[in-house]
Amino acid sequence: MAVDTTKNAVPFEMAQIPGPEMAKAYNTAVIGAILKKAKRPLLVVGAELFEDPVMFDKAIEIGKTGVPIAATAHTIKGFIERGYTENVHMIGLHPLTSYLRFKDWQGLDGKGQYDVVIFTGIFYKFASAMFSTLKNFNRDIKRVSIDRYYHVNADMTFGNLAFNPDQYHEAVDEVIAKLKA
Amino acid sequence: MEKMEGSFAVEDMQNVQINIGAIVKEVEEWDQPMGPFPYPSIATLRDWDFKIMQRYKIMYSPICDRCTLCTYGPCDLTGDKRGACGIDQAAQQGRIVLIACLMGATAHCAHGRHLYHWCLEKFGDLPINMGDEILVDAPITRTIAGIKPKTLKDFGPVLSYFEEQVSQLLACTHTGQEGNYMDFESKALHASMLDHLGMEVSDIIQMIAYDMPRGDENAPIVECGMGTLDKSKAILITYGHNLAASSEAMFYTEDNNLWDKVDIGGVCCTAHDNTRIGEGLGYPKEISEKYKDIGTKAKVAGAIGWWRKMVRGDVMDCVMVDEQCVWTDALAECSKLKVPIIATSEKIMLGLPDRTNDPVEEIVDDLVSFRMPGVAVLDPAKAGEVGVRTAIAVKPRRSEIREADPFLSEEDFKKYAESCTYCHSCQFVCPPHIKIGDVVRAAAEGNYEPLSTTYEVCVGCRRCEQACPQDIPILSLYAFANRDYIRNQKFKMRAGRGPVKDTEIRRVGAPIVLGTIPGIIALVGCGNYPNGTKEAYDMAKEFVDRGFIVAASGCMAMDMSLYTDEEGKTIWEQYPGAVDGRNICNMGSCVANAHISGATIKIATIFAGRNERANFDDMADYTLSKIGACGVAWGAYSQKAASIATGCNRMGIPVVVQPHSVMYRRSYVGRTDKKEDWEIIDARDGSKVYCEPAPEHMLYIAETKEEAMLMMAKLCFRPSDNSQGRMIKLTHYCDISMKYFGCMPPDWHVYVRHASDLPLKWKEDMMKELEAKHGWEIDWKRKAIVSGPIRKMDVSFDPTNIERKIRVKK
Repeated sequence: MAVDTTKNAVPFEMAQIPGPEMAKAYNTAVIGAILKKAKRPLLVVGAELFEDPVMFDKAIEIGKTGVPIAATAHTIKGFIERGYTENVHMIGLHPLTSYLRFKDWQGLDGKGQYDVVIFTGIFYKFASAMFSTLKNFNRDIKRVSIDRYYHVNADMTFGNLAFNPDQYHEAVDEVIAKLKA
Repeated sequence: MEKMEGSFAVEDMQNVQINIGAIVKEVEEWDQPMGPFPYPSIATLRDWDFKIMQRYKIMYSPICDRCTLCTYGPCDLTGDKRGACGIDQAAQQGRIVLIACLMGATAHCAHGRHLYHWCLEKFGDLPINMGDEILVDAPITRTIAGIKPKTLKDFGPVLSYFEEQVSQLLACTHTGQEGNYMDFESKALHASMLDHLGMEVSDIIQMIAYDMPRGDENAPIVECGMGTLDKSKAILITYGHNLAASSEAMFYTEDNNLWDKVDIGGVCCTAHDNTRIGEGLGYPKEISEKYKDIGTKAKVAGAIGWWRKMVRGDVMDCVMVDEQCVWTDALAECSKLKVPIIATSEKIMLGLPDRTNDPVEEIVDDLVSFRMPGVAVLDPAKAGEVGVRTAIAVKPRRSEIREADPFLSEEDFKKYAESCTYCHSCQFVCPPHIKIGDVVRAAAEGNYEPLSTTYEVCVGCRRCEQACPQDIPILSLYAFANRDYIRNQKFKMRAGRGPVKDTEIRRVGAPIVLGTIPGIIALVGCGNYPNGTKEAYDMAKEFVDRGFIVAASGCMAMDMSLYTDEEGKTIWEQYPGAVDGRNICNMGSCVANAHISGATIKIATIFAGRNERANFDDMADYTLSKIGACGVAWGAYSQKAASIATGCNRMGIPVVVQPHSVMYRRSYVGRTDKKEDWEIIDARDGSKVYCEPAPEHMLYIAETKEEAMLMMAKLCFRPSDNSQGRMIKLTHYCDISMKYFGCMPPDWHVYVRHASDLPLKWKEDMMKELEAKHGWEIDWKRKAIVSGPIRKMDVSFDPTNIERKIRVKK
């Protein structure tokens, strides 16, 4: 039975209430389908992966489906250690988000702007603010979170799964399975 | 001042009163001509601001998508919506940024205004004497106001200028005033430049009046940490940023030989300033004769992040609060432990009765008998006496009256820990995301280690306790588990040294501008670290060891004192305190940050011979183009940090901040894919040339310490770096990347102009990569770069962003 990722849809930092437009929590099948459908997706992974190393492996699985990976902070190190650098780009989340807000940016590979960004493993408040930048200043990009937190400024997110790592990992696996299908 | 003599008559007038405000005619003792921008108004430096913003794109991250400031609201501004008044999201964010910068700037300036009045009243007008080694004595005041202050009173017009400007700026935030985000940002840059002026005025006033060190690289080493407070004595804590009352407490203690009965410890910047008193050049005499080196008797209890931990750790008998950064529940927290509190500033009165005009005996009696939990005493001298006498008298009574031991009993600790239902409400509100549920569960099972290892990560905000449905006093659990650490938190810190000496500038000016000293790193700010205080030490040590000039101030200077090397030495004991490579300087309290931005002006004027007088954009342009300086506010929490950083940005100094700093909502980020953004003028002939993106960003948010350090090294590149400097800077940039990221940074090649720029240890591999990956043409015989760099090496290249700096037009 699929993990119910629509529960606990309250901001992980509870006072993080931005306004009338707040994210909806979706189940893994829908999120997986959106990623699969994306023409120019970008997976953005942050340094919290070091605290949950199995997520490196899951990010690599996503990378192997053809989704390029932006490794923020010093996360690139985790990919190098695992011998996977094929489509992994080292860039800070802050400049990356800055580029993402400009419609004329040509992407990390020079082939054009992205249509879907998928965040995971990023310090909650930082990720939330970067989603906010995109929400307000480039609405052409779909903002998806597959992190363990309900992300209020995303378009699509899981509910809070921060306290149930097994369920969270299972949910990410379901998204990956959908992506591979 | 020229003496004006003579007489005048007022004929046919009776009962005439003549008030002479200021005599404006003055003998000119400064041979520097007045620059173009004395006392700049809001729009005076707008062109410079727009140049910055053209290169460093304003990036907003709204925390709130709405505007709720007028009665038409709330208005939803999400995306491209506009409010009823017509404002859009970007302008609304710019408006909030301006308000935040004004909060910060006014906090410092109001501090200076209070010190101005108080010091004139207490000491009279004093000459500004910074000693033989500091002749460029108030660089920011000179640059902005165009005056060279000679006595404290000369700061009067400077403060009045500031006050007029902030009044005008605040008016701009009213509904129906400014509506363009870039103009809001220009105003925020203006407010923040004024902040640096206010900080400089504040610190010079207190340095002169209280005989603080003036650029003393050997400023005394003082005690730092909760454990340094002697529990056998009464402990008076002075908390905040304004030393007026706390210094009086120290003077009263000295005058009455009470140091064997009372220990005085400071929290936040008052701690810094207490420990600087009487350590200067020996004047004014009132200080030097009676209170020489009195600052070494005061102790640094700790930085702002430790305040609530101190309360729960029962390290105080009485508290005096002054201004800024005082947690507003201080009275409630202290009352629970029967710690009387004395509010000493009009800015923070906490609802307490104003007892300024009452006899000291009555006030002390009311506090010691706990008839009232606190009082306001706005006369600093009286407040100081009340503080010391109350602390001494209340100490024996506190333990009698207090119902429980300040630390939980073992039994209560267990009871509370076991009552945790693992609901994780605490973790939902914890700023550094400590897994508090796991920590408490481990404690219930008898494992206190998680409570110890996360103690320095906890910022003491108490949000967890408020969220806990079981009312578990989580900070008290921390205090219990760390009671031995609290008692033994004993470290050393170098007292704030004050400004940079002219002689130091002469020594390091050329190496900085040529790049052979790889950069100036300024670690400033508060205690809201994303991952604990240890990161302050780690970052400082990394860059001192690499030969950078490292300056620190405020709470970050205190927090980095809490760690030692294998020999048990704190960072202040490991390295000397001069402004030089492989040194670390404690500049002082928050307001001493002005000496860091002031130092860049001093490099321009002392080393490069530029006129600073009323010449702000020239100084900022020089800094942006030639001085590899980078500010870091890794624990920044306050609006003051926002204005300090923004003021640095207007001065051309990039700043790296921690991920919580997204709450400031605005950053300045460069676009390396836009070649035209990096066009710069060659001042030799006015030609416009393209340069590498240096510095690439102006306000950068880093996710981790590792990313911050890489960016700090990168943001020290400047267009003027020579080959040797480039090689040194590239070495550190690449080495930090290899150390923490496991690979070279993807953009290292951008900073290469010539083969001699390449670090020797990687030279061969780098040349291969330049050829293979980036398509550069390499002459392998000569080991030379034939083509490829954005700019070729040019030793006399003179980059500028200002047209009037062009020497000969092409």
